[in-house]
Amino acid sequence: MLSIKNLHASVEGNEILKGINLEIKAGEVHAIMGPNGSGKSTLAQVLAGNEAFEVTAGEVTLNGDNLMEKATEDRAREGVFLAFQYPVEIPGVSNLQFMRTAVNAMRHHRGEPEMNAAEFMKLAREVSKQVDLDPAFLKRGVNEGFSGGEKKRNEIMQALLLQPKLAILDETDSGLDIDALKVVADGVNALRSEDRAILMVTHYQRLLDHIVPDHVHVLADGKIVKSGGRELALELEERGYAWLGIREDDVAASSAN
Amino acid sequence: MKPAPTLLSSAFLQPAGQALPEPLLALRRQRGAALVDMPLPTRKTENWKYSSKYLKLTDEIAGSLPATGKTGSALAVPGYKVVFINGVMVPEASEYPDLNDILIQRFGDLSEAEANELAERLDSTLDTRTVQFAGLNSARFEDGLLIRLKPNAVLDKPLFIIHEVTASTSGSAFPRVFVDAGRNSQITLVEEYFSSGQEAALVNTVTEFNLADGANVTNIRLNMDGENVQHIGATGVRQQRNSRFESHCMGFGGPLRRHDLQVWLEGEGAECKLNGVVVTQGSQHYDNHTTIEHVAAHCNSEETYRNIAADKSHAVFNGRIHIHKDAQKSNANMNNKNLLLSTGAEIDTKPELEIYADDVKCAHGATIGQLDEESLFYLVSRGIGRREANVLLTMAFINELVAQIPVDAVKDTMQTRLNQFFDQAFQEV
Ligand SMILES: Nc1ncnc2c1ncn2[C@@H]1O[C@H](COP(=O)(O)OP(=O)(O)OP(=O)(O)O)[C@@H](O)[C@H]1O
Ligand SMILES: [Mg+2]
Repeated sequence: MLSIKNLHASVEGNEILKGINLEIKAGEVHAIMGPNGSGKSTLAQVLAGNEAFEVTAGEVTLNGDNLMEKATEDRAREGVFLAFQYPVEIPGVSNLQFMRTAVNAMRHHRGEPEMNAAEFMKLAREVSKQVDLDPAFLKRGVNEGFSGGEKKRNEIMQALLLQPKLAILDETDSGLDIDALKVVADGVNALRSEDRAILMVTHYQRLLDHIVPDHVHVLADGKIVKSGGRELALELEERGYAWLGIREDDVAASSAN
Repeated sequence: MKPAPTLLSSAFLQPAGQALPEPLLALRRQRGAALVDMPLPTRKTENWKYSSKYLKLTDEIAGSLPATGKTGSALAVPGYKVVFINGVMVPEASEYPDLNDILIQRFGDLSEAEANELAERLDSTLDTRTVQFAGLNSARFEDGLLIRLKPNAVLDKPLFIIHEVTASTSGSAFPRVFVDAGRNSQITLVEEYFSSGQEAALVNTVTEFNLADGANVTNIRLNMDGENVQHIGATGVRQQRNSRFESHCMGFGGPLRRHDLQVWLEGEGAECKLNGVVVTQGSQHYDNHTTIEHVAAHCNSEETYRNIAADKSHAVFNGRIHIHKDAQKSNANMNNKNLLLSTGAEIDTKPELEIYADDVKCAHGATIGQLDEESLFYLVSRGIGRREANVLLTMAFINELVAQIPVDAVKDTMQTRLNQFFDQAFQEV
C-alpha cells in the first residue's frame, strides 16, 4: 500500500530524513521507534504533506500513486490520516463544525451526499463515546484547552470518523494514563483491517502490548537502522538504543524525555 | 505660506426637502452657514490621515437623492421596523406600535414645540470639532426619526431602522436618528444601512442616544452600503448614572467607509460595551474612530474591535479613551485585533489613551497578524479544501463577536454574509 524509497527531506537547509526506505502492505501495523529528534515526526509530517519540510529526493507511492506531488487535502481524501503529536488548538472553530466539515469533504470526494447537522451529531456522539470523550467536547473550539490526553483521544476520534486507508499515529500514546491508553488502543484496534495500514510512532512498548505490530523499525539520525518483528520492541525496552550503535547524545536526549 | 485648504463645495450646502417644522429648518440653515468655510480633511488632518485619500466629494454626488424608490431590506426583521429611503421615512413600509410610553415619530410630524426642543438637542452628543461631517448631516437632513422612551418603558421587540440608499442616480442622503431613553427604559435598535443601484453616492448619517439613569440601550449597526457609495456616519451617546449602552457595529468595506462613535460616560456607574467587526477586500476601505469619554467616576468601558483586510484593502481603527480628572475608579478595557489576509492589504491601528485621574484601571492591546499556517495545515490534513479552511479560520477570528449579537436573525444573517464575503475573498486560494 505505502512504498517509501530513499526519502530525503530537510527543513531550513538541515537534512532531517536521510534516505528512508519502507514498505507497508494493506492490513499491516508498523511501529517506528527511535530517539528524540531522529526524524519520526518529520517523516509523519512529510507523508501528510506539510510544506514546512522540503523533500529533496526519493519517492513515495500510495497504492501506486505518487503521493508527494499531491496537495495535503488530496492526500487526505485519498485516505492518508495523521494523528498529530501536538494537535493544534483552533479557538473559534468548534470541534463539531470542524469534524463535520472534514467528513463532508471526504463524502463529497467520494460522491456521497453530505451529512446534515443532525445526522452528523448522531454519528459524532457515538464515536465520541467510543473514545470516551464527553460529547461536550464537540462544542468547544478545536482542541481548545484540551488536556494532552484529551487531544490524543480527539485525534483518534477523527481517525474513526474519517476511516483512512493509511493511519499515521505520531505518539498518540504519549501523555495518556492507563485507562486512556486502553481507550486509544481499542480505537486503533478498531481501525485495524485487511484494507488499511497503520504506521505508529511510539517510544513505549506498553502501547505495543495492546496493539501488536507486524513490524518494528528503529529510526536514528534520519535513517532506519534496524527492522524486526515485535520482539525488537521488547529488546529496545530492555537494552535501549546504544547496542545499535546510536550516538550517545541521541540516547541521552531520548532517555531524558 | 500654507496652501489654502480645499473647502467643501458649495454644491453640498443646498438642502432639499422643506417638509420639516420651522425650528428644524432654522437649525439646518444655521449649520449650513457654519460649513461655508469647512476645509476638507487631508492627510495632514490627524483624524483623517489614513482615510482622506478615499474621500471623493465631487459635485456629481452633492445633490439630494429623491425620496422615492422600492424598499427591500437584506434582513429578516423579527421586530418592528421603520423604513427610510434616502433619509426620508416611508410610512407605508413601516410597522411600529403606537404606545403611550414609547413615542416613535418622524421629524416631519413633530409639533412646533417638539421640534424646538429637538433642535436644541441635535448634535449635543457629538464633539463636532472632531466629527466634522456631523455638521453636514445637520445642514442637510430632510427627515429623521425621534424615539422617546418614558421612564421604565420597555420596547418588547427590537426596532429595525432600515436605511436604504437608492444609488440608481448619483446623489447624497442624510439619515438622522435621535433617541431619548428615559430612566430605566430599555430598547434594542438595529440600524441597517444598505444600497440599491450602482451609481456613485454619499450617505452621511448621524445617530444620537441619550440614556437617562438606569436606561439600557442596545444598538446594532450594520454598514452594508453599496460598492459605489461612500458612507460617513457618526453615533453619539450620552450616558447618565448606571445606564448601560451596548453596541455591535458590523462593517463591510466600500470605496470610503467612516464611522465615528463617541460615548460620554457622564453619570457614575454608567457602562458601555462596544463591539466592532470590519471586513474589507479588493480595494475597499473602512475606518472606525471611537472615543470613550470617562467623565464621571466608577464607570466601565469595554471595547473589542476586529478588522480583517484582504487583497489590497485598507482598514483603520483609532480608539481613544479619555479619562477625565474626576473619573476615579474608571475601568477601561480596549482590545483591537487585526488579521491581514494578504501582503497587499493594510491595517492601521492606533490606541490613544489620555488619563488625568490617578486611580483607574485601563488596559489596551492591539495586534496585527496573519492566518496561522499550522492551523491551516491541520484543517487541510483532514481533507478540508484550502478555500474552506481559510474561510473557517478567518471566521474563527470574529466568531466570538458575531456570536454576541443579541438578535438571532441578525446574527444568522451576518454569519451567512461573512461566510460569503470570505468565500469570495479566498476564491483564488
Ligand atoms: N520546523 C523545524 N525547524 C527546524 N528544525 C526542525 C523543525 N522541525 C523539526 N526540526 C528538527 O528536526 C529534527 C527531527 O525532529 P522530529 O520532530 O522529526 O523528531 P522526532 O523523532 O519526532 O522526536 P521526538 O521523539 O522528540 O518527537 C530535530 O532536530 C528537530 O529539531
Ligand atoms: Mg516526534
